Parts: sequence; C-alpha cells; structure tokens
Amino acid sequence: MALSADPPKCLIQGRLQSARILPEMTAPNSPVRRQLLLKLRPEGAPTLDNFVVGSNDEMLARLRTIGGTDQLYLWGEPGCGRSHLLTAIARSGGDRPVVSVSASDVHDDIDVVTGSILIVDDVDRLSPSGQGALFRAFISARQNGVALLLSGPLPPLQLALREDLRTRIGQMLIFEIRGLSDDQKAEALRHYAEQRGLPMDDAVVRYLLLHGRRDLPSLLTTVDRLDEISLAQQRPPTLPLLRELLTETRQSLANTETKGIL
Amino acid sequence: MSDFWSACLSQFERELPAQQFNTWIKALRCEDEEESPRRLRVLAPNRFVLQWVRERYMNKIETLSREFYGEPVDVSLGLCEALKTDPADSENEVAAEAAPVDMRAAKQSTNRLPISSSSNHLGDPSYDKTRLNPDFTFDTLVTGRANDLARAAAQQVAINPGTSYNPLFVYGGVGLGKTHLIHAIGNAVLMNNPKAKVSYIHAEHYVSDVVRAYQQRSFDAFKNHYRNLDLLLIDDIQFFNGKGRTQEEFFYAFNALVEAKKQIIITCDTYPKDIQGLEDRLISRFDWGLTVQIEPPELEMRVAIIKKKAEASRINVSDDVAFLIAKNLRSNVRELEGALNRVLAFARFHGREINVEVAKEALKDVIGASNRQLTLDLIQKTVADYYKIKVSDMYSHKRTRAIARPRQIAMWLTRELTPHSLPEIGEAFGGRDHTTVMHACRTVVDLRSKDGILNNDLHVLTQTLKG
Repeated sequence: MALSADPPKCLIQGRLQSARILPEMTAPNSPVRRQLLLKLRPEGAPTLDNFVVGSNDEMLARLRTIGGTDQLYLWGEPGCGRSHLLTAIARSGGDRPVVSVSASDVHDDIDVVTGSILIVDDVDRLSPSGQGALFRAFISARQNGVALLLSGPLPPLQLALREDLRTRIGQMLIFEIRGLSDDQKAEALRHYAEQRGLPMDDAVVRYLLLHGRRDLPSLLTTVDRLDEISLAQQRPPTLPLLRELLTETRQSLANTETKGIL
Repeated sequence: MSDFWSACLSQFERELPAQQFNTWIKALRCEDEEESPRRLRVLAPNRFVLQWVRERYMNKIETLSREFYGEPVDVSLGLCEALKTDPADSENEVAAEAAPVDMRAAKQSTNRLPISSSSNHLGDPSYDKTRLNPDFTFDTLVTGRANDLARAAAQQVAINPGTSYNPLFVYGGVGLGKTHLIHAIGNAVLMNNPKAKVSYIHAEHYVSDVVRAYQQRSFDAFKNHYRNLDLLLIDDIQFFNGKGRTQEEFFYAFNALVEAKKQIIITCDTYPKDIQGLEDRLISRFDWGLTVQIEPPELEMRVAIIKKKAEASRINVSDDVAFLIAKNLRSNVRELEGALNRVLAFARFHGREINVEVAKEALKDVIGASNRQLTLDLIQKTVADYYKIKVSDMYSHKRTRAIARPRQIAMWLTRELTPHSLPEIGEAFGGRDHTTVMHACRTVVDLRSKDGILNNDLHVLTQTLKG
C-alpha cells in the first residue's frame, strides 16, 4: 500500500477507518483474519495544553510565562512527563530561538544562541565534559540573555554532578513534577483514548487502573496495545479483550523473567 | 593626638612601606584611658584591620609605648565606638536579632562607599562591558563570622584599589559568595570613580578569549585590553588548570597590572598552594598580596542571608520560616537562594501568606522528601522489621494473625506507594491472587479507621519508607 511519508493531517487527528487495510486485501489463507496495521500514532505532539495538569498547575503556569533570563529546573520520576513538557516548550518557544539538547549528547560546548531558551533534558546523564559545557552556559547565560530550562530525575541536592554545577541548578526555580492520582490518571486515559478515536468505557478504564501497572507510560502503552489488538482482531475494546491483553503481557513478562533467572 | 601616638605613627611611617602604613596604621586611633597604671586603647576602623594589627603590629606598639613612657603600659585593641553604636543602621539590628552577625564592617562601607543599585546602570553600555552584576554590592552582602575578614579586606581594596593589597586572593568552597564579594568591589570602585576601567571575567571565559586571540592572531588587542584595566576581577582561577598558554598570558598581564599599581582580584576554590596544574611562578605571585578565606555560613548567618534576600524582593519572611529554610540547606548560599525563591514563588502563585506550612509545602520541590525509589523488597523488609517477623513470612502461606496482618499492611503500602498492579503485588507476596491483594487493601482501609494503633503504625511505616 502506498503511503506518503507525510500523512494528511486528518489521519493524525483520530482513529480512521481508512487507516485500516480492508480484510480482502490481507492474505486470504491466513487461519485467523488479522488486520494489518499502519503504525500511525494519532495522538498530537506534546504541547502544554495536552499535558494532564494534575497538581502541577503552578509549574505549568510558570512554564507558560518562561521568558527573560528565567532559570527553571523540573524534576520527577521517570514517566512523570518531563520530556513531554520540555518538548512542548521546545516547540512553542514563541518568538525566541530554542536550543534543545539531550544531556547525553553534550560534549564540548553547547552552542548557545544569544537571547534563546536553552533546554537540557536528563542533566544527570551529563558526561564530565558535558558538565563543563553546561557550567559555561550557566555563567554566560545572564550576559547573553539566555533562559535556562533543565530537567532531571532528582532534586538538585541529590544530583551527582560537579558541585559548582549542582549548586547552580539548586539556585534555579525548582519544581517537582507530581505524579497523577488514580482519578487524574483515569481522566488522562480517557482523554488519550478519545484522541485515538478509541471508545473506552469507564469499566475498562477502572479495570486497567486496578490491574495494570499504574505509571502513566505503562498505562498509555497498554491503551496503544489495546487499540492495536482491537483493530487487528476487529473486536471492540471491551473488558474481556483488555483482560486477555493483560494476561498475555504478564505471561510474556514472567517468561522473560524466568529466562533471566535461568 | 597624644605625643606618644604621633611618635608611634612616625616610627611606623619610617619602618613600613607607604602602602602598608596607609592601609593598616594610618586609620588607627589611640585613646589614653588612665594615667596610672598607664593604659592605652588603640581603635581600629573595622574587624579586619583590628585582627591584622593584633597579629602583626601589636608587639611593636607595646614596645614603642614602653620606650616612650618608660614604664609598663597596658595596651588594648578595640573597634571604634562610633561604629558600634550608630542608630542609623537599623537593618543591623534586624540581623543582629536573628543572628550574631557582625555588620560593623558593613556599616563602614555604607559610610564611606556609595551604595550602588541596579537602576543606576540601566542601559549603560560601558557598564555592561564590565560584566558586573549590579545586584552584587556590599550592601546586599550579609556578613558573618564566615566571611567578615574577606569582606573587610574587600572593602579596603575597594577604597584603595591597587595600593592596599595586590592581588587580593579570595578562596572558599562552592556557592559561598566569592563572586558576590568581588562584584561588590567592582561596583564600589566604579561608584567612587565612574571612569575606572573595570572588568569582571570568569576564568573559563579568559581561557576562551586566549583561544580566540590565538585563532584570530589578535594577541595585541587581547594584551591591550587586559593591560589597560584599572581593576581586573577574575573568578574561579582553578579553571586555568593545565592551560599553559592561558597561564602565560595571564602571567604577563598580572605583572603589567601590578607594576602599574592596578588592582587584581582573584577567586579560587582553594588556597594558592593547593591549586592543581598551575605554574609555580603564578602561585607565588598570588601570595604577594593578601589571601582571605570565605567559609560556609553557620545557621544564624544563613537565616540572616535569607532575610536579606527576601528584603531585597520587598518581602518579609518571618524567623521561623527563615530557620526552616536554613536548616534544610546547609552547605552553600546558592541553594539557599533557590529554596527561598521557591517559597516566595509558591506563596505568590497560591496567594498565600508566607508561613511555615507554606514553606514546608514549597520546599518539597527543592528537597524531594518523598523521592526514595520504593521497591517491593524494601517495603516487605521494612514492614517485616517493624513487626519483628521474618521477611520470608511475607510470602509464606502461614495465615496466623501475627503474620497475616503485617502482610496485608505491606500489600496495602505497596499499592499506595508504588505503581505495581494488583497481580504483580499478589505474585510478589507468595504467588497470591490479585483478589487477595484487593481484600488486603480493603481490610487495611477498613481497620485503620477503627484501630488507632494500626493507624499510627501505617503512619510511621509510610514516613519510614518515604524517608
């Protein structure tokens, strides 16, 4: 099937029947008729608006007004949405240039543009030379009118970085990205499923929260999987289907663990 | 002036180099206290001079006085009374209430050095060129035991740049205010003499300047720039480590400036002899002038710093809030400032008054109280230890109350504190069904509302686990 590299916008907006390959196009002899799937991720790119706020309203308000030579440090457990927020800011820097780098890619010097917003994710992964580069970015930031937005998995006090860099991070305005409550997660899941055009009723959401891993990335992955299976098997995303999926996932997890032990 | 003191001064003037005489001796005052037994009191303008004189010139003064009067004389040293009781300076009292922080030196600066404020420099391109931060002044610098000598020395230098001690070498740990101090000197010198050519540069930038000069073959311009300064402030000299060409350039700039009686001020994270990878000829030159240390601030000084910083934002922070912040961030001023900013931002956003509750809430972001990664194993072990049962009982099939209850509690804690699913929890507790976990959770929730002891246990365990 011919696919343009850049699908029309309507495809991205939601679950579209046209994204499926019709059954008669699949191999006629396959015992179970499985729908082949196009791997189109329908959910929109990260923005501040599609971040589920939870109890992070102050941080989000502050992020929306980032400007001047502001210095913000966001931290939180893996899966709390750090990269989502940083990407959102990187995409919507307004009229300012944005320099966005991943810490593991920083080596000698960060090319800081005057007047830009410098974004560095995962500061805990900076190499010694990367730490030097970020340190230099720090000491020239005010002079160059650069705003800094950094993130990491830990509060500054616990970062294992050069002390002169670590304390400078500690001087920034620090926000912990707080995880969502179960109710907020349910809301996030519903919203996410809706974006995919996946009709998911409350019982399914409740079951997922009760029986699945409850960190948001795991939950979203499960919704993705549920959507895929539902499309492939042409079954509605009901409770029984979710149960099958979870059992399957657990078993394959258990298998890999056993293999690991053996 | 008493005859003795004029004689004493002229004796020192003969013996000491003019620079030292002017810095240390000239500003001293002498009072006759009693005739018999004869007692003299020598007054110094600030603590730094006081200490310096005590260490280096006190014997000489005693000897001279004995010779002059022909009898034993009791000479004591003190600070000028005028400086001790100046009611004009009310902020001293605020700080003094919170902490035994010595502000006398600060007062001297306000008497003799103009106060610089950021608004004076707005849009002034020649000021921008100095790379000074207008907010870093002596006025905004809190002084305590940790930095009063350094501050007094810095003020001396600001009053007599190039002639009191050259270079002034300030060292101390990270985030203790070295940069603030030397910016304050730069700002004070500029206020005294707006035409002075002042330049602040971080050692890292100096290195890149050398590299650029090298690439663009523009060493002449580079040399000219540095040698025409009246005051060079160079920060974090330890970054010269192993950079030969930079050190060579700096060596020549250093010599040229000192020879022309231009002031150099250097900061470093350690004292000169201990700097790694620096040429001996540089290190020995750093010892020519005066080396002063900044130490980490003690609790009371940290409290004073917080109050001062809040004051700069025109916000009043009560003592208990300031103490709360100061107790949580011990090692440096920078993180103290970060914590204060977080508290202020939090209160502003939520429209709340700044009190201990608000501060505690806001500091969670800074300190990360509940940040320990909790694992199933850790929860099982903690609960087993708490109830003095074996960890293996957590996944055994025993169902006696003494074992089953802690097990249920551990299940509930895991459910509350980790993202594990019910089946995963059941699996970890001896391959139990997820409905068993659900039952355990319900039981615990039900019991805690009726059983005060259990409720307390849960509280303690949660606290322990969250660290």
